[in-house]
Amino acid sequence: MSHHDHAVASGHDDHGGVSHFSENKVFIYLFVLTALEVGWGLAGKHFGWNRPMLWGGLLFFAAYKGWLIAVYFMHLKFEGWVVKSLILPTPFLVLVIFGYVMPDVADKETNLIHPVGSKLDPKTGAIVEDMHQLWHKPAADGAGH
Amino acid sequence: MSQALAAYDPAVDAPAPHHPIYDYDSGPPVERQKFAIWLFLATEIMFFSGLIGAYIVLRSAAGNWPDPSERLAVDITAGNTFILIMSSWTMVKAVFSAKKGEMGKAARWLLATILIGSAFVGVQVYEYIELYHHGALPHVDIFWSTFYAMTGFHGTHVVVGVIWNVWVLQRVLRGKYTAKNNIGVELAGLYWHFVDLVWVLLFTIVYLF
Repeated sequence: MSHHDHAVASGHDDHGGVSHFSENKVFIYLFVLTALEVGWGLAGKHFGWNRPMLWGGLLFFAAYKGWLIAVYFMHLKFEGWVVKSLILPTPFLVLVIFGYVMPDVADKETNLIHPVGSKLDPKTGAIVEDMHQLWHKPAADGAGH
Repeated sequence: MSQALAAYDPAVDAPAPHHPIYDYDSGPPVERQKFAIWLFLATEIMFFSGLIGAYIVLRSAAGNWPDPSERLAVDITAGNTFILIMSSWTMVKAVFSAKKGEMGKAARWLLATILIGSAFVGVQVYEYIELYHHGALPHVDIFWSTFYAMTGFHGTHVVVGVIWNVWVLQRVLRGKYTAKNNIGVELAGLYWHFVDLVWVLLFTIVYLF
């Protein structure tokens, strides 16, 4: 058990024999992390941080909070091998999904047919910006696929 | 009585003496309900991953993505995030109370979870109404359509969670659970925490990125 785990787990020990952790400590951690995350996001935009720094920090806070909820509030830390083996592969499957969309993200200029549709005026319904035409514009100029 | 049952003759139909009779549960070493809810949550993870994956592609393809803080009330939603985290904490309290057989406490914590969860939904509905009055509807542009898709599906999950908690609460009040048998409270708790976990990620992606 790491120092952090020990710190979180050293609270209550009378939960009907279910698990041994302090839900109050986890709650405070989540509270503080959310405040830090919002502060990080606002500071990043205010000071114009680059994206890796801004997004990396935000992802770190979100992942840390998600980990705390899954491991302690959902008792994953205290579950047996069946539940763990059931749920642990899903993050890797999520990475597979994201892996499949990455080519579209990375090579969007040449491969992605814009699936967005058009931008409409909310009051009149008139087409303000036809994204289909915008996508075909580069092709007409000889720059598209 | 059915014909098959009436025709049952223990001398003929009973298992042969050499037939193995197991005196243990041959299933996986976990409650079936818990196994089922975790399996369900695994599918839910994939569901929201699909939404987020689509969001990544669409946001990337849209090129000039607007700053969410210019369109959305980040401060209000940050407060709403605190509210949902608080409801997860009260849910943990409810589950622990039920495990200890303190059903009165469990009912009170469940009621708190229901009220706080309803407050979260209320704030989200208020946000939607405000956006509606500003003409921010799903068809306007891809920012709004992805916003409503992700927050809408999550909000629906919260509503389902609140209804589930109400159902569990009435069972607690009717004495359906004991210190030994309280899996129903635990299952509702797992679902509720999952909804909280998804929101932690969605809040970051939709409101802060």
